Amino acid sequence: MALEKFTYDNKITKCFANATILWGVTAFIVGLTAAFELLYPSVNLGLQYLTFGRLRPLHTNAAIFAFVGNGIFTAVYYSTPRLLKTPMWSQALGKINFWGWQLIIVLATITLPLGFTTSKEYAELEWPIDILIALVWVAFGVNLIGTMIKRRTKHIYVAIWFYIATFVTIAVLHIFNSFELPVSLTKSYSFFHGAQDAMVQWWYGHNAVAFFLTTPMLGLMYYFVPKAANRPIYSYKLSIIHFWTLIFLYIWAGPHHLLYQALPNWVQAVGTVMSIALIAPSWGGMINGLLTLRGAWDKVREDPVLKLFVVGITAYGMSTFEGPMLSLKTVNAISHFTDWTIAHVHIGTLGWNGMLIFGMLYWMFPKLYGVKLYSRSLANTHFWLATLGMLFFAIPLYFAGFTQALMWKQFTVEGYLKYPNFLETYVQIRPMHALRALGGTLYLTGSLIAVYNLIMTAKAGKFIRFQDAEGEREVGKSDDHKGWLNHRKIEGKPIAFTVWALIVILIGGLVEFIPMFIGPFNNHPEVTINIDPYTPLELQGRDIYIREGCVGCHSQQIRPFRSEVERYGEYSKTGEFVYNHPFLWGSRRTGPDLAREGVKGGKLYKPDSWQYEHLVNPQNLNPQSIMPPYHWLATQDLDINSTPAKIRTMQRLGVPYPEGFDQIANDKLKAQAHIIADGLRKGGIDVEDQKEIIALIAYLQRLGNIKEPEFTVN
Amino acid sequence: MENNENNKHKIQKPEYEIDTLTNERLLADHEYDGIQELDNDLPPWWKWLFYITIVFGVIYLIRLWVFKSDDMNQNKEYEMEMAKIASLPSQQADAASFEIKVLTDDASISSGKDIYDKNCAVCHTPDGGGLVGPNFTDDYWIHGNSMDDMYKIVTNGVLEKGMTPFKDQLSPTKRLEVLSYIITMHGTTPANPKAPEGEQMDWPY
Repeated sequence: MALEKFTYDNKITKCFANATILWGVTAFIVGLTAAFELLYPSVNLGLQYLTFGRLRPLHTNAAIFAFVGNGIFTAVYYSTPRLLKTPMWSQALGKINFWGWQLIIVLATITLPLGFTTSKEYAELEWPIDILIALVWVAFGVNLIGTMIKRRTKHIYVAIWFYIATFVTIAVLHIFNSFELPVSLTKSYSFFHGAQDAMVQWWYGHNAVAFFLTTPMLGLMYYFVPKAANRPIYSYKLSIIHFWTLIFLYIWAGPHHLLYQALPNWVQAVGTVMSIALIAPSWGGMINGLLTLRGAWDKVREDPVLKLFVVGITAYGMSTFEGPMLSLKTVNAISHFTDWTIAHVHIGTLGWNGMLIFGMLYWMFPKLYGVKLYSRSLANTHFWLATLGMLFFAIPLYFAGFTQALMWKQFTVEGYLKYPNFLETYVQIRPMHALRALGGTLYLTGSLIAVYNLIMTAKAGKFIRFQDAEGEREVGKSDDHKGWLNHRKIEGKPIAFTVWALIVILIGGLVEFIPMFIGPFNNHPEVTINIDPYTPLELQGRDIYIREGCVGCHSQQIRPFRSEVERYGEYSKTGEFVYNHPFLWGSRRTGPDLAREGVKGGKLYKPDSWQYEHLVNPQNLNPQSIMPPYHWLATQDLDINSTPAKIRTMQRLGVPYPEGFDQIANDKLKAQAHIIADGLRKGGIDVEDQKEIIALIAYLQRLGNIKEPEFTVN
Repeated sequence: MENNENNKHKIQKPEYEIDTLTNERLLADHEYDGIQELDNDLPPWWKWLFYITIVFGVIYLIRLWVFKSDDMNQNKEYEMEMAKIASLPSQQADAASFEIKVLTDDASISSGKDIYDKNCAVCHTPDGGGLVGPNFTDDYWIHGNSMDDMYKIVTNGVLEKGMTPFKDQLSPTKRLEVLSYIITMHGTTPANPKAPEGEQMDWPY
């Protein structure tokens, strides 16, 4: 058959590459700011838009979706046409993909500081943006599938398998986890409640790591590592086995984020088991990456691209071993809610994602601009700063996590908590947080050097938009080579491949969810449901709690440990959260757990006046506190126009407010607010009924209070 | 003749090429934008790692579902942890010899200050001037100023006023230490004293 001539268009690759650089630096700066806020609460300049609670989701979203997101699109749009020997199927869809994605990021940087958030981690963006994400993602997927259909090669290469898995799984995760009922354009309530919502969220949250930060990066690795090293892939068989086992097992692992929490034992056990089984499939990727470099180690010593790849892949190996270890109950009992988790994810993002993406850019820019890299020594400097930055970030945090967990659990011989004051356990790890900020500074500095180096490289050359190529059209030829396990056959049928990938990733989620949804409490009772829905004022207060991102530092989930029951009160039961849309269990205790904050006579109970003083100026009460002052809550009026719509939305979600309650809700709200504000005024605090702080206090004092609690163990 | 046929076959359609650097077999028709793939088997240690993790999982789930082991059930684990504590010598073992009295030795006062700074200063300010909680330095007391009264307050709290009960956080001796320290604050001059609350009382110490 005759050779056909065609051209690759590098325009879209260039756009995504520039975007990943821009947003990468942004994500690092926001992260570093958040790190300094944990050291000095005044870093937010007293502005409500820049508190840690609001910056944290901005940082995580920017790092995951803006930096890594644009990075993987760079890789996909560069490698897919070359691996399939055809230009991308649709230029228009590519443009929609690019500009749509940037629009989403810009909307995120506007809405998150404004406090428009669903509070579900890595899915904080509100429903209109969720819809936009779904549309742009479909544009990307259609373009990918279209290109596969139009391909010239007979088979699709392993990098493409990973891109396919990324597309189908993220689509499923995003759509399902974003089920929410809108209250207004900027506010919605999660369709799921309490424990269900927690399950769905961490099924999503964990697999955002798996299918956004891992599978597309493996695809990237499978293209750029062999290209940069000019070596063959170590083992095709390993590719097959680790691909299918990885995508099958990953989806089950979500519940390991909820160990010892108010979730059925069996779901947690399945989460643990599948996480442990993930070690080998994950390491399959690492082996195939590192052993591909056999015969090229002399180049690794010289070439900053390969150096970044090697450290990045090694970081992947470390964090995919650490992850399963953290999924063991005994380890998790220590690591969870501490900085250990934060160290763990940063080995993944700074190491695996960051280094692979920068390595790719150093390799790609000279190709895109037809010159050599501007400075190899600057790239080497960047490599060392990035490596040291990652280590200075992670090692102090491991130490901090371990220290704080042990302090939380330590009892005196008399049987009292050794450190009953939570703040003491934070003050102890503050120096570690300072070192973490140093690590972040090093990493940011390295990336700025990279930006300079890449800009100078681009300036030295001229952008090569079109690259001519030629290839034989192999599609349609008979497949005489069956290959190992007959896998070769399905590599020639990308649509079938996509369908199979979809089936494989659906299994785990279905098995874990169905029992949670048919008879929501059949499998995890423990408390008879005898809870009143939130009063309108408490509901509004809860929405302020969500807006301010309180969940970023305060959990609402007491695990069944003596040390936690002793510190916070009776451990959390599934049934308590049945009216919580969304759940607010949290994942890190920078401050104490608040699940039973409002229980009179409980371990943490404080009067309204304390709550007021503390919210307005925490340092007044605890000079060492790192909670920022929330003085605007005392001056801003509560938006009560939204109350009827919020009540109606909750009714639609099954929360049993009486018929017509939306019409009288604001009367009830005002009456309750008046009682609280009056009490504060009697204590000498000058506050008006309609201020936001009154609603938040009402919510905090409600926490943990169940009407006539009847705890029954099944 | 047969040999010749074989050779001919190999030349026409080689099953494998060899990677010169590692001397390993390359898969013949596997070439994507210049990337080739080797035909290596799965590393045995990797296979064994995978098998072991699967066996771990099977045993784990059998222990949960078939044997219903107690350490697989978090509520039972909690009960076991608490049972272990109950079997320890009672927290109140020294209750018999315990007496509510003011401690005056330096060690107790300095331990009392430590406890105060960590637990009480939040509401009563570090110098005892009061903020959310009342002033300790003046002559006015809301719930009495005898050692017995104050011991009751620190033990059980004053819920309606927001005073936290410390019975679960401070041992009886520690409660005495912190009270003894608080007593030393009487008559001092705090930076921002809170207005008097309660009744004026004689100072019994």
